[in-house]
Amino acid sequence: MAAPGPGEYFNVGSHVSCLTCLGQRLQGEVVAFDYPSKMLTLKCARPAVNPNLSDVMLVNLAYVSEVDIITDRAETPPPLASLNFNKLVNRARAEKEDKLSLAYAVSAGVSVEGQQLFQTIHKTIKECKWQEKNIIVMDDVVISPPYQVDNCKGKEGSALSHVRKIVEKHFRDVEGQISVQHSQQAQHTQDSTLSS
Amino acid sequence: MSMKPQAGGNRKPGGSNSGAAAASGTGGAGGGVGRQNMGRGRNNAKGPSTAVAFNGVYANMRMVHVLTSVVGTKCELKVKNGLVYEGVFKTYGPECDIVLDAAHRKSVEPNAGPRREDIVESIIFKSSDVVVVHFKDVDLNYAKKVSSDADNFTDSAVSARVNGEHKEKDLEPWDGGEQHISGSMESLDTDLSNGWDPDEMFKYNEETYGIKSTYDSSLSSYTVPLERDNSEEFLKREARASQLAEEIEASATYKARVALENDDRSEEEKYTAVVRGERELHSLNRENKYIPPSQRNREAGMSWGAGRQVSPRMVQCSPGPPAPRSGPHDYNTMDQRVVNGGAHPWPSRCPSPSSRPPSRYQSGPTNSLPPRAATPTRPPSRPPSRPSRPLSHPSAHGTSGPLSNMPKRLSSEGPPRMSPKSQRTPRPHRVASCRGGGPPPSDYMSQGASVEVSAPPPTRNSPSGGTWSSVVSGAHRPRSPRQNSIGGGAPSPSCLSSPQAGTVPVDSVTASTTATSPTAANPATNLEASPIEEAKESRVLETRQNSPNANKENVKPIEASAGNARSIGKGSPSMASDHRKQIDNLKKFSAAFRLQPSSNPDPGFETMATKPLRDLGEKPKDQAAEKSSVDSSGLKASTESSISEETSSPVSVTSAGSKSGTPSLSPSSAVPEQKRGPDVTSQGVQTTSPLANAVTKDKDEKEDKNDPVAESVRKSTLNPNAKEFNPRVFCSPPKPATTPTLTRPQGQPSPSIVVQQPPAVYGQTMFQMYPLTPVSPGVQKSIIWKPPAMYHVQVPHMTMSQTKSYRSGKVQNMPQQRPDQHHPPGTSTMMHSATPAGPPIVAPNPAYSAQYFTCSPQQFASQPLVQQMPHYQSQTTECHVHNWSNSIQYLLGECSFGHVFNKVIIKASFDRLQVKRC
Repeated sequence: MAAPGPGEYFNVGSHVSCLTCLGQRLQGEVVAFDYPSKMLTLKCARPAVNPNLSDVMLVNLAYVSEVDIITDRAETPPPLASLNFNKLVNRARAEKEDKLSLAYAVSAGVSVEGQQLFQTIHKTIKECKWQEKNIIVMDDVVISPPYQVDNCKGKEGSALSHVRKIVEKHFRDVEGQISVQHSQQAQHTQDSTLSS
Repeated sequence: MSMKPQAGGNRKPGGSNSGAAAASGTGGAGGGVGRQNMGRGRNNAKGPSTAVAFNGVYANMRMVHVLTSVVGTKCELKVKNGLVYEGVFKTYGPECDIVLDAAHRKSVEPNAGPRREDIVESIIFKSSDVVVVHFKDVDLNYAKKVSSDADNFTDSAVSARVNGEHKEKDLEPWDGGEQHISGSMESLDTDLSNGWDPDEMFKYNEETYGIKSTYDSSLSSYTVPLERDNSEEFLKREARASQLAEEIEASATYKARVALENDDRSEEEKYTAVVRGERELHSLNRENKYIPPSQRNREAGMSWGAGRQVSPRMVQCSPGPPAPRSGPHDYNTMDQRVVNGGAHPWPSRCPSPSSRPPSRYQSGPTNSLPPRAATPTRPPSRPPSRPSRPLSHPSAHGTSGPLSNMPKRLSSEGPPRMSPKSQRTPRPHRVASCRGGGPPPSDYMSQGASVEVSAPPPTRNSPSGGTWSSVVSGAHRPRSPRQNSIGGGAPSPSCLSSPQAGTVPVDSVTASTTATSPTAANPATNLEASPIEEAKESRVLETRQNSPNANKENVKPIEASAGNARSIGKGSPSMASDHRKQIDNLKKFSAAFRLQPSSNPDPGFETMATKPLRDLGEKPKDQAAEKSSVDSSGLKASTESSISEETSSPVSVTSAGSKSGTPSLSPSSAVPEQKRGPDVTSQGVQTTSPLANAVTKDKDEKEDKNDPVAESVRKSTLNPNAKEFNPRVFCSPPKPATTPTLTRPQGQPSPSIVVQQPPAVYGQTMFQMYPLTPVSPGVQKSIIWKPPAMYHVQVPHMTMSQTKSYRSGKVQNMPQQRPDQHHPPGTSTMMHSATPAGPPIVAPNPAYSAQYFTCSPQQFASQPLVQQMPHYQSQTTECHVHNWSNSIQYLLGECSFGHVFNKVIIKASFDRLQVKRC
């Protein structure tokens, strides 16, 4: 590791806050810091959402100011586990395809509600895809615009009822969020609430 | 990777590009490598092909790790101009350039998804353009490799999931909870019942589900209940079974194996723990561990005993009568040692005898003797079985008896030769035996004589039997008893005689041996001599090898010889007197033996008797009873006054003893018989001894011996020592082998001899095996001996067993001896060898042979040993058969090497039989 200058070195596990040049306040636990590239990786645990999930931020210290070390930690960080690279690659491909399929749907004129619903369902049931404007869930249930509970059709069964529950909950949550604000955050919170 | 497309589809976010693209390209590749290595640390890991040293961000293990962990997640990337791009994080370069797939510039519109046309395949952002990359809701453990499920819950695995700061979970004490009924937990510890009781389960199922179990505790569907009755036969079998069980369970091998299963010691204790005790522990461990044969010798006889018959002998010997067994034991030990030294006791023995015999013949008796001394145990054990049979039969039968034995033996040994005769003869024998009337008388007489002879052997046999039994201990005992009884007496003498004659180690023994040897020798010598002369030298050698067995047999035979002597005596009154003298001498010898062995003569006898008792005891009793009845009818009637004299007193005693099971009586009778045998046998023995000394010279010596009969008798007293000679006796056995051949077709003898050689080798091993079987017969005989008729019957049995043994082992030897015995009637072994005696002998032999053959054919031809056993049983006594089967099975089952040999021998014998049949 390059010898960090005073104030430029962040121990892993330390809590740091900083202000980006774009005026965004960032705060998190230092996961990694690369002095040569001035790149700092922070992790923000989101226990409220899911203890297993966290936000990770890669910060370019070249565009950051007001770096404060809230709490320092000199302890040796825990060892790193080996990673399953294939798993990561597959995830990257899947994510890409999902996004492209979504983009295709959007291009096809799917409403925002539809997109949101799709994302919601996709969080619960991975086996869903766009077919024109219809959302196909598990090859059994077809949700057609306007994507309401009544629009869920398919062979009666647990799958259909399950999808209907998801859709019902989705719109209920969306309504609540929308009432608060129409923003990505709202969507995000919906997702989070749904997921939770 | 996707770098190239990226380059094409690049949208320049903030600033630069193509260069960045290129960089990212390399970086991507490198990144891939880096990722793989990441987990282990970049220091170790280098891209396989890429020479790219870790540079830039790649050198930062933690940065690489965290960035790689978020590969494939959606992220928002803000560039310095304020634009926000959203895409799937694809990879990163060494300069921390960021590559996003399916990226699009995030519109201000909140929830609107990107349009298809807005999405770019991939975008490379130079790190200098990137302000912050925000990965939302990522699972940093997503790609964490789990080496194994178990790893999931190790401390390291659990803590590894927590990257960075984490709080130790507050541990909450768990109280059993109120749901748990107090005591439910304890019940697990206190409930000693091993689950449900079957009956409980059946009951529950029946009550709850109406299912009626068909379970039958008797398992009648899988096995047949043992029908218990009070019949003698059943009791006999049961006793034998228990005896065998005891023997087996007493064996070191069994104990060792059981210990393996029931070893309470932990694995750690057994295999892992560092033991400081060294040898002590080693020894302990050895008990439970497999000990290579090569190392077993060190362990003492036990290992062998357990593993092989030899050890059993040892064991048995120790338990058995002190004196007789002691001798045998010593010998056994010696043998075992020798054998052990050889690697495989049995095999070695077998081979050794054969080998030894040749050496003896070649080198001369003296030379052979030393080896024999080492081998003595072998000889005793073997001799008893074989010798006993041969001797007993020959001696007892005198001419006819021996002949009968011979035929059997011959048949067994040289089935091809004898087969025709034997087959034919067997029938006659059977008939005769069955008839037990007039015609048989002669045969019966002979048989009776043989029986008597066998009787004498019993005492010795008992000792020898003890040895045999000990040897046979496990399976063989049964046989051994017979053998002992049959050959036991004779063998020891013969053995002694032969050994003495050969080596003349023990004076008394030598004397006795000489005396005894003569008898045995006579037949043996005659046989041997004749065979030898007739047979080629090689054959002779082989025969000699066989002869060793024969010698052994002779040793037992000695007694048998005594018996022979009796038979002879029977044949001629003078003989009877001689027999008496011999008996006296034998008694003396026996006493001396006993004394020498360590035990008193009586004890010895008792021990002998006891030893036999186990094996023989039961059988003897039963057999004795049967035999006695039969013998009484047949033998007594048939038996001549001479026999009656010798046998009557001794026999009666023996019979009584056998019947009563009193060893002393049997021994005494046996002794007398032996003594008698010595007289008769003395001649033969002498010849045999000479044979032992100089196999080829045996004939001459035999003649000489014949003269020395009295001396031989005296020596016979010494015989006790003679047991040592047994080995020599074994040497002598070759003679018998030759003799058998001689008795029948001389030309054949040589072949038979040749055949015998291998058998002889096997025979030694076989002998032990066979001896057992023979012994058992012998024991019976010993008891039964008195009644000729019984003998006849028994003889067949004996012969059967013997034949089997002989066949399997060195049966030929036995036959030879028998022939010799037969010859004795003729007067000299030479006579026997000469055919003149042969013819008559042959004639009787045929009958015996026929019987034997029949048995053997049936057994061999029709079925394996087991079948044979049945035949024997049918013909003779089941016990014998059982003994055989048991012994055989036992042998097969237990001794690995021995088994092989036994099998081989058996096979050989079978082959012979078959061949004979053919």
